[in-house]
Amino acid sequence: MKNAIRLLTTICLVVAALFGAALPVQAKVRVVTTLTDLADFTREVGKDLVDVRSLATGVEDTHGVPMKPSFVPVLNRADLVVLVGFDCEHAFLPALLEASKNPRIQVGHQGYVDCARNIVPVDVPKTTDHSGGDVHPYGNPHYMLDPVLAETAVKEICEALVAFDPKDRAVFERNRDTYLAELDTKIVAWREKMKPLKGLQFVSYHEHWPYFADRFGLRYVGTIELKPGIDPTPRHIEELISMMKADHVPLVVREPQFPEKVPRLIAEKAGAKLVTLPIMPGGVAQTDTYIEMMDYIVSTMVDAVGK
Amino acid sequence: MKIFPSLLCLIIGATTTVSYAQKSESPLDSLKQQIQLLQQQVNDLKKGISASDMAKTAAAPSAPSAVDQKSVRDLEERIEELTEKVNSISGAQKQSKPNEFNPSIGLVGELVTSYRTQGKVETGSDRPGGIDINARSVELNVAASVDPFAKGYAVINASADPVTGEATMGIEEAALQTNSLPWNLELKAGRFFGEFGRLGYIHDHELPFVNRPLVLDEYIGGESRSDGFQINWLIPLPQYVSLSAGAGDGFGGDIPPSNPGDIRQFDELNYWGRLSTYFDLTPDWQAEMGVSGLYNPRTEDRGGVLVQPDGSTLTEKKRRLVGADFSLKWVPLRNNQFQSLTWGTEALYSDNVYRDSVSAGSIMGEDSVGAWGVYSYLTYKFSREWSAGFLYEWVQNNLNAHDQTAQYSPYITWALSHWNQLRLQYTHTESNHVLGLSNDDAVYMQWSWIIGSHSHGWQQR
Repeated sequence: MKNAIRLLTTICLVVAALFGAALPVQAKVRVVTTLTDLADFTREVGKDLVDVRSLATGVEDTHGVPMKPSFVPVLNRADLVVLVGFDCEHAFLPALLEASKNPRIQVGHQGYVDCARNIVPVDVPKTTDHSGGDVHPYGNPHYMLDPVLAETAVKEICEALVAFDPKDRAVFERNRDTYLAELDTKIVAWREKMKPLKGLQFVSYHEHWPYFADRFGLRYVGTIELKPGIDPTPRHIEELISMMKADHVPLVVREPQFPEKVPRLIAEKAGAKLVTLPIMPGGVAQTDTYIEMMDYIVSTMVDAVGK
Repeated sequence: MKIFPSLLCLIIGATTTVSYAQKSESPLDSLKQQIQLLQQQVNDLKKGISASDMAKTAAAPSAPSAVDQKSVRDLEERIEELTEKVNSISGAQKQSKPNEFNPSIGLVGELVTSYRTQGKVETGSDRPGGIDINARSVELNVAASVDPFAKGYAVINASADPVTGEATMGIEEAALQTNSLPWNLELKAGRFFGEFGRLGYIHDHELPFVNRPLVLDEYIGGESRSDGFQINWLIPLPQYVSLSAGAGDGFGGDIPPSNPGDIRQFDELNYWGRLSTYFDLTPDWQAEMGVSGLYNPRTEDRGGVLVQPDGSTLTEKKRRLVGADFSLKWVPLRNNQFQSLTWGTEALYSDNVYRDSVSAGSIMGEDSVGAWGVYSYLTYKFSREWSAGFLYEWVQNNLNAHDQTAQYSPYITWALSHWNQLRLQYTHTESNHVLGLSNDDAVYMQWSWIIGSHSHGWQQR
């Protein structure tokens, strides 16, 4: 009997130790972001008051972050989940949220922070039929590449942090304002640097760049993909090359998660330059923050096309 | 030139309106306000220009300022752009309004065309040998939130009868799944695929190859369908550990439940469980493993009397099944839509207890038949559209372990898109002929498609 009691006590202690390890010990707000730009913004606003984890590392496609079961315990303990919205994360986030069994971060709850809430989308499809490929029914979700719209995301994150932790409102708002001021300064510099490129025509692999083009006065004239999520056919490639030649399109943008072969071929045949540009921080080396990423994008474009 | 201060005010006003509206109102309202403001100010500007022109004409006859006219044109163009945006957003909202309270609906179709060298008598299949064109299934998937506490979903399947060719409809799944239970719990109730093994609860068209592995067909009875309850617990650890347990009437889509008789007891239900975990070996390499068990303490008369080739008959008395599964995946983070490698293996051990109810020259009594089965596959995705793989299977008959079958199946898949996929597979079947079955070679062409709503479920990861 004594042995049985000892065994039971040992089991209880082991279980308690295991569960104890899983219990939260810090008072920080636990934030999970889908992408790395949102993680960067959350760190800027929350500083030491937040514990931030991004599902993406930066090198993935924004629509193709692998659904790893190791994300589930992280989401299970999260206070907030911050997402781009407009269905950008439809291929991985809904299933992960369901598996997380965390009611606080489900759609419609306080912990579900959709940064697209106040963004006016472009390219809202007239129909959501799949003849248009993997269409986003609410419009193009790649607004984070426009730094002015990215500021809206920073504000959303701040609002969510304040709502969750009102006692630290002053700190969050001060951090937000400091970061927005820094971004504003950078936006002026980026605009200045991009001025000579006004009216520049370019194509890219996936339709990541309409907001960026609008912001900097460029002309986004096509994609290598036949339709969103659909690989190009030989006919589409030929037509794209003909169009680029006829319109003297000087630039092909390849996002690093897509293969280089076809963009290189198109650039060579059309007499255009090929550049590889990240779509979120960490996409290429030395772009760990949003500002570093935008610096890289602007410099690479300017250097490629010349003054 | 009074027009320039007005323009400046207009631009500042419009910009302020945008930023204010983004803080407090919906994008559509914000755009509508911008348009109204711009239209008002264009009218004011036009009036200003006319007045200015009249004054200038009176003073010195000259053409209206080209700069002023250009500014108005620019503003009008801006209004046109904004109006277009409003219309597109309102259009999108109108599209979703009528569907707000309706479930998402998707339809999956599948056509399997095959050529087999042996007839159905030699292969034991329910499909004929030679050329066979089989609209294997059409599945209607519907899902929606029931209320804030649960979601509901149903899969209604229609498949062609192998003999008559007539389509027969059935409810493959129709279940309620909670999303608000405390302590990381989730309850599923209704008809659903119980969690057992790796591919047991995956629908046919979602398998990485054409046919369900032999061992799952043989020991589970196709998909792991049950009418019952299942509770899942995400164990609150930093490591992913998931535990499921369920109880239900029947387990396996092709197997009837126990004969209920007059009064059914608890020991006539099926009980199952699964424990699974996962490890990130590196950012690109993932390992997932699980163990499963199924037990039905009293399966008297389930499926009726089983007649053996030697004339003896068996009645299943207890159903006992355990399994272990393992998958190793290489999913490169950067280009996982273009490249990946999956190695999946599952082994099952069936230890059913049978009673020799009628014995022709053999001993009456009860006996258990221990039988093993395994499948292992390797799939390599080498572009967004193409993947290829190889499936190996080996299974002992769970009524007679001496009867063994092995299959070798290379396959190649062309996914034109997420919703349209073609697969070519060759399968060589080797039987040890104990039950009179013959070796067989078959070529399959599977074409599956999806229309409507299509979700990326957790089970398809």
